[in-house]
Amino acid sequence: MTGFILRRLLWTIPVLLLVIFLTFVLMRQIEGNPFRQTSRAVPLAVQQNLERKFNLDEPWYIQYVLYVKGVFTFDLGPSLVTRDRTVNDIIKEHFPKSVQLGLLAFAWAIVFGIPMGVLAALRQNSAYDYGLMFLSNVGYAVPSFLVATLLIYYVSLKGGLLPTNGWEGSWKYKVLPSFALGLGPMAYFARLVRGSMLETLQQDYVRTAKAKGLRWPRVVVVHVLRNSLIPAVTAMAPLLGFIITGTFVIEVIFSIPGIGRYFVTAISSRDYSVVMGITVLTSVVIVFANLVVDILYGILDPRTRDARA
Amino acid sequence: MLSRNRWQQAVLLSLVAVLFVVGCGGGDDEGSGGGAGTAAAEQTLKWGLGSEFNLDPGLATDTTSAKLVLNLFDPLVKLADDLEAVPSMAESWDVTGAKVVYHLRSGSKWSNGDPVTAKDYEYAWKRAVSPELASDYSYQLYGIKGAVEYNECEKNCAKLRDAVGVKATDDQTLEVTLTSPQPWFIQQSAHSVFLPVHEATIEKFGDRWTRAQSIVTNGPFKVEGAQPSASITLIKNSEWRDAANVKLERVEGKIIVDGTTAVQSFEAGEVDVLDEQLPAAETPRLKDTPEYELYPGLGTSYYGFNVKDNITDVNQRRAMSLAVDRQSIIDNITQANEKPANAFTPDGMPGEEDIVGEGSPFTPAAGDLDMAKEYMAKAKNPKTKITIYSNEGAPNKEVAQALQSMWKQIGIDSTIKILEWQQFLEFLGPPPPKAVDIYRLGWVGDFVDDINFLELWTCDSGNNNTGFCDKEYDALVAKAKGTPETAARYAIYKQLEAKLTGPDGALPFIPLWYITYPNLERETIKETFKINLLDQVDLTKVEVKG
Amino acid sequence: MSVDPREAVATGTAAPAIADLAAQAGRPVHRASLWRDAWRRYLQNRGAVIAGAVFLLFVLFCLIWPFVTPYDIRSDPVNFQQSYEGPSVKHPLGTDQLGKDLLTKLALGGRISIAIGVGATLAILLIGVVYGSISGFAGGRLDNAQMRLLDALYGLPYLPFAIIVLAIIGENNLWTMVIALSIASWFTAARIVRGQIITLKENDYVRAAKAVGARWYRILSRHLLPNTLGVLIIAIFLELPGVILGEAFLSFIGLGISPPDASLGSLAQEGRAVYRVHPNVIAIPSIAIAVLVLCANFIADGMRDALDPRTRETKEH
Repeated sequence: MTGFILRRLLWTIPVLLLVIFLTFVLMRQIEGNPFRQTSRAVPLAVQQNLERKFNLDEPWYIQYVLYVKGVFTFDLGPSLVTRDRTVNDIIKEHFPKSVQLGLLAFAWAIVFGIPMGVLAALRQNSAYDYGLMFLSNVGYAVPSFLVATLLIYYVSLKGGLLPTNGWEGSWKYKVLPSFALGLGPMAYFARLVRGSMLETLQQDYVRTAKAKGLRWPRVVVVHVLRNSLIPAVTAMAPLLGFIITGTFVIEVIFSIPGIGRYFVTAISSRDYSVVMGITVLTSVVIVFANLVVDILYGILDPRTRDARA
Repeated sequence: MLSRNRWQQAVLLSLVAVLFVVGCGGGDDEGSGGGAGTAAAEQTLKWGLGSEFNLDPGLATDTTSAKLVLNLFDPLVKLADDLEAVPSMAESWDVTGAKVVYHLRSGSKWSNGDPVTAKDYEYAWKRAVSPELASDYSYQLYGIKGAVEYNECEKNCAKLRDAVGVKATDDQTLEVTLTSPQPWFIQQSAHSVFLPVHEATIEKFGDRWTRAQSIVTNGPFKVEGAQPSASITLIKNSEWRDAANVKLERVEGKIIVDGTTAVQSFEAGEVDVLDEQLPAAETPRLKDTPEYELYPGLGTSYYGFNVKDNITDVNQRRAMSLAVDRQSIIDNITQANEKPANAFTPDGMPGEEDIVGEGSPFTPAAGDLDMAKEYMAKAKNPKTKITIYSNEGAPNKEVAQALQSMWKQIGIDSTIKILEWQQFLEFLGPPPPKAVDIYRLGWVGDFVDDINFLELWTCDSGNNNTGFCDKEYDALVAKAKGTPETAARYAIYKQLEAKLTGPDGALPFIPLWYITYPNLERETIKETFKINLLDQVDLTKVEVKG
Repeated sequence: MSVDPREAVATGTAAPAIADLAAQAGRPVHRASLWRDAWRRYLQNRGAVIAGAVFLLFVLFCLIWPFVTPYDIRSDPVNFQQSYEGPSVKHPLGTDQLGKDLLTKLALGGRISIAIGVGATLAILLIGVVYGSISGFAGGRLDNAQMRLLDALYGLPYLPFAIIVLAIIGENNLWTMVIALSIASWFTAARIVRGQIITLKENDYVRAAKAVGARWYRILSRHLLPNTLGVLIIAIFLELPGVILGEAFLSFIGLGISPPDASLGSLAQEGRAVYRVHPNVIAIPSIAIAVLVLCANFIADGMRDALDPRTRETKEH
C-alpha cells in the first residue's frame, strides 16, 4: 500500500516538470509585449530597460532554468504588468477566493445534484425523471454568463434580496455566484448518480435485499446509495479542477477578485510570469487532486490497486 | 482497516467539514477598515471603479489610477474649468524662456508628518523618467533638459540623473530647465506623472510602497484600506492645507469590471457614480434618466490608413472619408452623443476655432456619397479589396461593419479582422505591416495644447502608425515648438491641421468623432461631481447633497 | 444417426434431401444484431426520441436556411432604420443593431457552432482512439508510458490551454477553434478507448484471431474497434455540449469567431448589453445553445440506456 502511494507521489515530479516545460514553451510562442498596454508606443530605451530588468533579454534556456529554480523555491517571479505585486502575492491574494467560490459551488452541486439524481433513478422514465433531468440540465446548458446576468437582474435588482456583485463582506455576496457556478456540476452529478444508481439497482444483492423483505427506503440508502456514490467520488477531482479554472466568467460578472479573472486578464495583457505561475499552480492542484482520488480509490477498491501496480 | 463504506462516509464528511470552514472564513484585509463601513457618514461617495489601479504616480497609466492619485497626492498646479492652470501646491510660478520656477507653499505635510518640500517633486520627476522605473509616461517629461538621455541610459546613470533639468534650489523652490520654451508646460504639469512621492517610503518598501499599510500621501485624501483587485477606501485628510473646504469625508471605491453588472449595481443603489464602464449598448436606455451625465473629452477617434504601401492615392482616402456617415454611426452604434469630427484637433482644445476653422471638406457629418464616388473615380489604381483591422470590444465590431457597408457603396470590398488587443498592437507597429490597409485607433490628449495632437504625425513619431511622412510637416512642428507666443503658434497649428485634413491635405486618416464620457451619477452628487476634458475628477469639489 | 451437414457438403456425398439441409445450413442464421436491439430500445425512450428529432431539425435548419433566406448577412447594407426591430413577419426573430435578420444570423451562427462542436468532438475522438487503442492493445511498457504521459497531460487546465493555443495561433476561425478546443480535452476519450480495448482484448474471438495469425491491425480494425463504436458514439454526444459551451465561453472573453462570421456564443455575447431593452437578441442564441446541449445529453443518455442492457428499466416499486 505504501509502495503504491510513494510511487504515485514520485510520479508527480516529472509530471510537474513536463507541465512547466509545456507552459513555458507555449507562452514563448504568443506574440505580444507585456510592457505595452495602451496604443501609445513604448520608447525603445524604456522597452529595453524593462526587458533587462525582468531578464527577458536572456536566451530562452537560461530563462527556463531560472524559472524552474524559482518554482521549486516557491518563487514564481514578479508580475510584468502590475509592478507592485509578485506572482506569489497575486496567488496568495486571489487563489483562496477562487477556491472558496469553487468549493461553495461544489456544495450546491452536491446538496442539490445528488438527491436529484437519486430521485430520478428511483422513478426512471417517469415525469419526475424527465422533469428533474431537464431542470438540472437547463442549468448546465444555458451559458453561464446569461444565467448570471439573469440571476443578478431578478434576485438582486428586482428582488432586492442579495447584492449584485462583490465578494468580501457578508455571506450574502457569496450566494449568487456560487449558485451560478454550481449549476453545471449539479447537473453533472445528478446524471452521474442517476446512471450509477440505475446500474446498482439491477444488481443481484439489491434484489436479494428486496426479496428478503427489507423496506425499500432502507435498501436504497444502505445498499444502493453507497455503492452509487463511487463514481461521484471519482468525478470530484477533475470537477474540482474545472470549477477552479472555470470560474472566470462568474468572477468577471460578479466582480470577484479571483484567480480565474486574473488569469485571463494576464493572458490578454501578456503578463507571462503570471500566466505561467497560475497555470503551474492549477496543474499542481489538479495533479494532487488526482493523486488523492487515486489513492482513495486504491483504498476503496482493491482491484484497481493491483491492476495499476 | 475501515470498511469501504466507512471510508466513503469519511471522505464525504471531511469534504463537508472543509466546506464549512472555508465558507465561513473571512478574507484578507489590508490596512484598517476596508469593505463594509460602519455607520456611513453623510458625506460618503460610493464609486464604481472600472479597472484595477496602481497608486504609484509614476506608473499610473490608466484613467482609474490617474483619477485616484490626483486626489491622493498634491500636484503643483490643477486645471480650472476653463483648463487654465491654477495654483495648487505651487503658489505661483515664473516662466522665462525655457526656464520655469515654481514657488511652493510651506507648511504642507505628508501623511506621516514629514514636511512637503520641493525636493519631493524633484525626486518624483527624476524617478518618473529613470530607466529603473521605465514608466510608460516618461515621455511626458521629455520636454525637460536631459530627461531623454537619462531615460535611455543603460548603466552608470547617476551622472545623467544629476544632469536632468529639475532642481529643488530650496525647500520651496523648484527650478525646471526645459529643452526649449514650452508655453504649455505649466498646464502639462497638472498631469498625474508630475505628482510628488515620498522618497524615504520608496527606499524602505521598494516596489510595494503603494500598499495600504505603507503608502504615504500628501493630498486631500488618504488611503484607509484597500483589498487587492476589489476595493479601496479613502478618507479625508484633515491635515491637508485646504481641508476646511473639503466636504467629502469618505470615498468607497469598488472595482466592477463588467459594464452590465456595473449598471445593475448602480440601479440597485450600491454605487453612486459610474464613470468608466457604461456599455455603449445601454446608453439609449439610460440617456433619458436623470442620472445620466455626458462630458466631452479631449480626444479624437479615427481610422488610420497605411499610406505608404497600401492606400497610396489621396483621392481614394478622400473618397473613403466622404463615404462615411458619421452621424448615423454616432446615433445608432456608439450612441454617446459624440460630435462628428471635422479635423484632428478636437473640440474643446484652446484655439480650436482658429486652428480648425470651417473644418475639413472631406468629413461631412452625414457623409456625401456622390462626392465620394467622384473622388473614387479620380483615383488611379485604387485598392478595392481592403482589410480593416480593429481590436475587439463592443462598438468596434459594429462600427467596422457599418464602415464596411458604407465603403461597399463606393466599390470597395472590405474584410474585417477583429483582433485581440495585444495582437492588434503587434499589427499597429509602427510601422504597420503590409497586411494592414486601414485600422481603428484614437488619440486622447495628455495635456491641453494642440501640439500634443499634431506632433503625432511626424515621420518618426512612435504613435504614427500610418507611414505618413512629410518633411515640411516635421519642420513646421519644430517651428511650432519654438514659438512661445500663442497666436503665432496657433497660426502654425492651423497650417499643420490643413496639411492633414485640409482641402490639399494628405488625409492619412479618417477623423470620425470627438470622444465623450458618459457617466451615471446619483442626484445627490450630480451637481458637484465633474469630469474635465482630460478625464480628471477633483474630489475636493464633490459634496453629497441631501 | 445424425448427419453433420457440414461433412456432407465437404465430402460432396450428400443426397438431395440432405443437400437442402446443407444449403440451409450454409446460409448465416438470422439473429437480432446488437444495433437493431439498441435501436428498438432507443425508440422506447420517449425523451431520447424527442431530443433526437429536435436536434436533427435544428441541424437541418442551420444547414438549409442560409440557402433559402432572402437576406445576405455579409453583403446586405447596414440599415439603421431597422435596428433592433422586434419579431415581425419580415423578420420572425427580429433584427440586430445593424438591421440584420436574426433568424438568418441564428442559422449561420448555429452552423458554425455545430461545425466547431462536431469538428472538435471528432478531433477528440480521433486522437483519443489512436492513442487509446495503441496503448490498450500494445500493453506492457508502452501502455505504461502512455498512461503516465496522460497523467501528466491531465494536469493541464483545459480552458486556459485553449486560450493559450488560440493566442498562439493568432486567428480565430473555425479551424483554429476546433484545434484549441480539442487539444486539451481528448484525454478522457483516450482512457475510455483504452479501457474498452483492454477488456475486449481478453475475449475469445480475439484470442482465436490471434491464434489463426491475424495481424494486429486486422484485429484492431475488424474486431476491437467496431465493438467500441457504441461507446464512441455515446462519447460524441457527451463531448458535444462541452465543446459548444466552451466555444460560448471563449466568445464571452472575446476570443470567439471574428466577424462577419458569428457563432451562437458570439451572438449571445453581443446581445448581453441590451438584454433589458431587447431581450430577444441574447435569448435566442442562448436558447439555441441550451437546446443543442440538452438534446445531445438526452440522446447520449438514451443511447447509453439502449446499448447497455444493465440499465434497462426496472418495473418494480
